[in-house]
Amino acid sequence: MNLRAWVTAIRDALRSMTQSSLMSLASIATVAVSLLVLSVVLLLALNLDYMAESVEKEVQIKAYLCSAQDEDPTCNKQELKDEQKKIIVEQVRKVPGVRELRFVSKEEALQEMKEEFGEQKDILEGLEGENPLRDSVEIQAQDVQQVTAIAEAVAKIQGVADVNYGQAYVNTLMTFTRAIRIGGVGLVLMLIIATVLTISNTIRLAVYARRREVAIMKLVGATDWFIRRPFMMEGIFLGVFGALIAMGLTGYGYSKVVVYMDQNIPFWPVARPEHVLMNQTLGLVVLGGVLGAAGSLISLRRFLKV
Amino acid sequence: MIQFVNVTKVYPNAHAPALNGVNLSIGRGEFVFVVGPSGAGKSTLMKLLYREELPSSGKVLLDGKDIARVREGDVPYLRRQLGVIFQDFKLLPERTVFENVAFALECTDVARREIMRRVPASLELVGLRHKTHSKASELSGGEQQRVAVARAIVRNPVLVIADEPTGNLDPENSWAIMKLLTDINKMGATVVVATHAKNIVNEMKKRVIAIEKGKVARDEERGTYGYES
Repeated sequence: MNLRAWVTAIRDALRSMTQSSLMSLASIATVAVSLLVLSVVLLLALNLDYMAESVEKEVQIKAYLCSAQDEDPTCNKQELKDEQKKIIVEQVRKVPGVRELRFVSKEEALQEMKEEFGEQKDILEGLEGENPLRDSVEIQAQDVQQVTAIAEAVAKIQGVADVNYGQAYVNTLMTFTRAIRIGGVGLVLMLIIATVLTISNTIRLAVYARRREVAIMKLVGATDWFIRRPFMMEGIFLGVFGALIAMGLTGYGYSKVVVYMDQNIPFWPVARPEHVLMNQTLGLVVLGGVLGAAGSLISLRRFLKV
Repeated sequence: MIQFVNVTKVYPNAHAPALNGVNLSIGRGEFVFVVGPSGAGKSTLMKLLYREELPSSGKVLLDGKDIARVREGDVPYLRRQLGVIFQDFKLLPERTVFENVAFALECTDVARREIMRRVPASLELVGLRHKTHSKASELSGGEQQRVAVARAIVRNPVLVIADEPTGNLDPENSWAIMKLLTDINKMGATVVVATHAKNIVNEMKKRVIAIEKGKVARDEERGTYGYES
């Protein structure tokens, strides 16, 4: 395995590609189209995942603290002192899986409610004297899967009257996001298999066209690896060129789509091109190269038996 | 150099063996014609020599080594000691004469400098120095076969195997090729030629081994073709 042998192999690969340029173009186009479909679906899957993630992030647990009006027997119909509230917040913070929390006093709660009501805030006029709202802690989970467990743990803390996290909503959401993820992964896997088959088939044709050359190489005493090398390089070139074309198109298209969406539906969560395109390009180029090499080697096996 | 010990070759699905209990011995530096009717087993005999086929039973020994026991990975190294010439030339049509001959050396990791020295020498020997940069597909049949001979001898093989080398050539070109093979033989290589070229065999008065129905029918020093046409 020396450098000269590889240089020869690359030279032969390039020569064979330019000699049968139509065939090579057809192969590159096939690879590019297969990988283009794959990369578009990959971006869709990434975005669905991103969407699911951002929706999940909004899931919030609200723990209401005891007040004098509370019917809950653990509350003893007593107003909590500030120190007690602090202790409760600290206890909540220690519950496993809690990512972030915020204490909202009943005064703040009323203020926020007024802001939400906007022009109709007059309805709430006069409630300052006898604020019917309760102090609460807003909790964000590290992972939406943990929400139920966190809610149960928080509910057991002394001084917490009740906990609300929209059980039904969270369960539906989780089923939905799980379905999206499984579906996305399944689709991508299927497409990868289809791409592997397409590419190896394409290369098989290219190898078949040169079976005569392979037979002659064997007869003049070329080792199997000597024969494989140029074909492998050719496969890698085809795969990598195809991947670059596919990603060039995808990248261009995706950047346009993101700009359009930012302008027209800004609240819609979109995976940022600068975050996903680089990795995806790298992944697809490597995939293209590996598929090309593997496709060549597999196709060659039959012809090496001379 | 070459020994066949009770060699039988049966192809799958064949009703009769292609070779049936063949015993023969060819010494170093000999020039041997293998003759016989079509389908008698000449080509099989040649294929056993360059190990495209393995005997079903019996042994083929090259320099005392059983070719059946050469490991798959070492077959290329065995073939590098041989020069093989075919009826259909087996050149790469899109490559130049130089590249076709250099090909045999490149396949075997010979240094570029060595290639630049040996390929022209080999082409000189077959008289095609002036066609160095022509494409193989642009040459006449006789010229193509001479390229194939140049390719076969560029590695200074100890054994040259030619399977009907003149089958596609006119008499004049056939003689030219046979003359080349004789020259190679004089330089020290053992040469085995399977052929139908009656006149050439009769005139050259070399050893003739006749194969009929898979068996050695005749083996004569300074023999003749012995068949009609």
